[in-house]
Amino acid sequence: MLKINTKTGLSSLIIFTVLLLAWVAGFSSRLFAVIRFESIIHEFDPWFNYRATAYMVENGFYKFLNWFDERAWYPLGRIVGGTVYPGLMITSGSIHYILHLLNIDIHIRDICVFLAPVFSGLTAISTYLLTKELWSAGAGLFAACFIAIVPGYISRSVAGSYDNEGIAIFALQFTYFLWLKSVKTGSIFWACMTALSYFYMVSAWGGYVFIINLIPLHVFVLLLMGRYSNRLFTSYTTFYILGLLLSMQIPFVGFQPIRTSEHMAASGVFALIIAVAALKYLQTMLSKSEFKSLFIVGALVAAAVVFLAVVVLTYAGYIAPWSGRFYSLWDTGYAKIHIPIIASVSEHQPTTWFSFFFDLHVLVTTFPAGLWYCIKNINDERVFVVLYALSAVYFAGVMVRLMLTLTPVVCMLSGVAFSVLLDLFLREEDTHRSGDSDVDDEQTTSSNRRLYDKAGRVPKMKHEQVRESDGIGANIRSIIIVVMLLLLMLFAVHCTWVTSNAYSSPSIVLASYGNDGSRQILDDFREAYYWLSQNTDDNARVMSWWDYGYQIAGMANRTTLVDNNTWNNSHIALVGKAMSSNESAAYDIMTSLDVDYVLVIFGGVIGYSGDDINKFLWMVRIAEGEHPKDIREGDYFTEHGEFRVDSEGSPTLLNCLMYKLSYYRFGELKLDYRSPSGFDRTRGAVIGNKDFTLTYLEEAYTTEHWLVRIYRVKKPHEFNRPRIPFSNRVVKSQSFISKKNTKRKKGTIKNKPVIVKGKKLLKQA
Amino acid sequence: MIPLIFLISFIFSSAYALGNTLVLLDNQVIKETHSIFFKSLQDRGYQLTYKIADDSSLHLSKYGEYLYDNLIIFAPSVEEFGGSLNVDSITQFIDEGGNVLVAGSSVTGDVLRELASECGFEVDEEGAYVIDHLNYDISDNGQHTKIVVPSDNLIEAPIIVGEKNEIASLLYHGTGILADPENPLVLPLLTADSTAYSYIPEQPIKEYPHAVGKNTVLIAGLQARNNARVVFSGSLDFFSDDYFTSAVQKGENGVKVPLSGNKKVSLSIADWVFKQQGQLRVRSVKHHKEGEKVPPQAYTIMEQIVYTIEVDIWESREWKPFNTDDIQLEFVRIDPFVRTTLTRKFLANTKLDLKSQTFMVFINLMLIMTGWATHIYTVARKCL
Repeated sequence: MLKINTKTGLSSLIIFTVLLLAWVAGFSSRLFAVIRFESIIHEFDPWFNYRATAYMVENGFYKFLNWFDERAWYPLGRIVGGTVYPGLMITSGSIHYILHLLNIDIHIRDICVFLAPVFSGLTAISTYLLTKELWSAGAGLFAACFIAIVPGYISRSVAGSYDNEGIAIFALQFTYFLWLKSVKTGSIFWACMTALSYFYMVSAWGGYVFIINLIPLHVFVLLLMGRYSNRLFTSYTTFYILGLLLSMQIPFVGFQPIRTSEHMAASGVFALIIAVAALKYLQTMLSKSEFKSLFIVGALVAAAVVFLAVVVLTYAGYIAPWSGRFYSLWDTGYAKIHIPIIASVSEHQPTTWFSFFFDLHVLVTTFPAGLWYCIKNINDERVFVVLYALSAVYFAGVMVRLMLTLTPVVCMLSGVAFSVLLDLFLREEDTHRSGDSDVDDEQTTSSNRRLYDKAGRVPKMKHEQVRESDGIGANIRSIIIVVMLLLLMLFAVHCTWVTSNAYSSPSIVLASYGNDGSRQILDDFREAYYWLSQNTDDNARVMSWWDYGYQIAGMANRTTLVDNNTWNNSHIALVGKAMSSNESAAYDIMTSLDVDYVLVIFGGVIGYSGDDINKFLWMVRIAEGEHPKDIREGDYFTEHGEFRVDSEGSPTLLNCLMYKLSYYRFGELKLDYRSPSGFDRTRGAVIGNKDFTLTYLEEAYTTEHWLVRIYRVKKPHEFNRPRIPFSNRVVKSQSFISKKNTKRKKGTIKNKPVIVKGKKLLKQA
Repeated sequence: MIPLIFLISFIFSSAYALGNTLVLLDNQVIKETHSIFFKSLQDRGYQLTYKIADDSSLHLSKYGEYLYDNLIIFAPSVEEFGGSLNVDSITQFIDEGGNVLVAGSSVTGDVLRELASECGFEVDEEGAYVIDHLNYDISDNGQHTKIVVPSDNLIEAPIIVGEKNEIASLLYHGTGILADPENPLVLPLLTADSTAYSYIPEQPIKEYPHAVGKNTVLIAGLQARNNARVVFSGSLDFFSDDYFTSAVQKGENGVKVPLSGNKKVSLSIADWVFKQQGQLRVRSVKHHKEGEKVPPQAYTIMEQIVYTIEVDIWESREWKPFNTDDIQLEFVRIDPFVRTTLTRKFLANTKLDLKSQTFMVFINLMLIMTGWATHIYTVARKCL
């Protein structure tokens, strides 16, 4: 008894230590950005989340739900409370509240910055729990360690990246864990917990749709496989009903769960499982042949009824057809043709092989092995993970962004693979001792849990010394183990490298490195936003491309026209049209929208490639989608179909507002003595239209490295008189040479009679 | 006590005077040939200061303060103003609210052409006259440059030119003005007849004339966006005593009208350009929910808004309530959502019965639709 206790104690100590270390490692590897730069919010969307959180902390939850933000989407405004997933704000808001109750005075910004790293530890724990349900505790520990440092997840959860995904992956994994638990036990308790966890997920991220489709898919496949059980029935029905009701409590989701096609699979499966349950019940009362015919007829009728109901309701308008974003998941070309605004976002592009390796490293190769083990030893839970893996792989292939949902399952299955592998090569000693275990059924016996734990973490020297020939040679064993550990080490090195180099840039503060390794901080964005906040009217309206909307609102606290919540395509198209029109046409649009300032990002001086000129074609495309008569994409290309800013570029491009605002006065600038003046480093070309002036705008501010340029739009009253420029005049007079000087101030009058003293005017006789 | 009285009287006198006016002349003779015009202005209360245009002591402002409210340039042949005066200082004067009346002639100098272009119109080339072979006065010297313009050709704006049908035909002798008809700020106050054209009379017509028919503007006006007013006449003689007092007879067989309408129109235009006519101001703007007094933070849909605006008009030297039925209120969100005419008593009672459940940031914009009065618009941003 005592022995067992010490063993359990030891194993739980190991589990605890490993999870704690995973948490600490995950937390600290996410701090690169804070250490290198400072504790600031990153990128674009987090700025809105931060602003909303700050608003909620300041004004209370109910004010937040009713918040109508008139500073966004001018002049439309945005109902923030109804168009936001509030989970993130509530989470950090309540942390803030609790800490303040405990008199720990911490600024809400710091909570927002460190929320994602803290949640990464929770994700590791829930991944451990989920993998333990699937396979074994050892695999779980592997998975927990993987997910703590894998770049695919770090990319969305570094300190400062205050976004929905940071907490949503935790909620996703935890919901799946609870779901498997409830399928296993068939208890209503676990099913209710699943629904609650699902509710948290719904409140946190739009990706909840993945759960509400994957769980029904799991149930459906189990039904097809003939694995129906009362456990399944209990857990799914409980989960579905509670989850449905709870998810409808989120204002942004509202009635979508019963009205949109994305959610219909869940209700279809709900109907199906009830039908199956009814049939099973009938089966107990009918003879076999009767049941067989009834089953076929019943199944066909049920399927037809469900299908027809969905079709009819869709046609009648009760169910909204699939949204464009959803279509783009099936047809990768769909967005490019129909919804340029979705395609314009880089994270919506199809994933390249490079990024699979970059984000997952060795796990890419071990994950199929884990999947294979799961398929080989199939049971109810493993069906789930197989479906999870297959769907996530597909979606990750469609969009870079969905790598995020793939990462957890890859970690889990790789954990399984490594666990099995270690098991195979480290077990010999124990086989001798106990001689009972078999790879296939090990996950059911709890006693050998400790083995994997040891296997994962304990130095192998001891094992290597014990040489037994048990089918596989001891040399081979040790070689394989060493190679595997090397791989794991390389994985850790790769993860740290990627995190440090690729995912830890706040993107509002840039860093450049000189030849001697010295670091230069380019703080132009904040410089510009600070300028806006200090030097413009509180109600000034700033027009920029939508990427910078949240940052302007968050940092400069000024009204924006469009922002990263791209809900109104036609408004964005109007801004795109203004940017791609010539100056006078743009002025008409800008006055009708009451624009006071225009902000453009220009990277030509420092060679920053994410600037507005490089994004410009998307502005043109989006504008063309709404205003095909005024804007044509073809006009912005040269005859050979190239997009060039140099003198070969198309005249439409060289005269549009975006070009002028980016390159105003740039033609005079000589960056270094080797390159000619007006040399754009980003595009590697000398600009084509160097010498121009602005009529309707004037330069208000340009940051140190010209990264952000702000222009003031002149008001109509500044064009007080309808001046006719010299070139437009019909009657052109020669320029008059002044005869005035500092001493002689007298003017000139034509044909003026001059009195000459001393001469008498001769009278004409 | 004495300084106080002095101060009061000073304020009173400056308020009473209709405005200091600088008159720039080619030579002192013009003062005599146009004495009726100047006398009438003085009778109306304008204080005129006469200067020769090339006077080396010319200044519009001193120590950043303008010395004059109005500027009359009756110096067509000036090529360069004396003192600190030039095109830039005059345009700056306009941009800061000063009013300018300019008369040119066929010898209009470059500085006036430049000034005209700055205000949105152009003077035809040197030596050109408006010629009309059908509508010339009997006293014409044979070149048909002293033309008769019927009062129908005046702009439809009684505030500027007076009631048309009470005005006799007008005499005109001078060059033509080209104005962009698309430009809403430029007003063609008087145009020539369809048979007129603007060309140099001695030369055979080789090129198409710059201005032909009704496009030949004789007197052009501009109300700038800051409400400064500028009038440019192509004829100095239009304001002369001779034309004010002479009879008009169109051609040999025309009906003889005993007195031309020049005086009436000239003085009416002078009153408009020096802002004694058609000047409006907003005294107050109020809005609140029906049954309440204070405007709320934001209006929401289905609420009744009471919008009140008081508008004054400058009439016989004082501000009087402006009575019109033509004031419109707009609620704009990119496009106007609500457009309604305000009722008299200056009360708009608009029920905003918006069907869609959208929230929006509204801008309301006042438009006053009376002919050529001052621009008025007030913009208030309100959240609805």
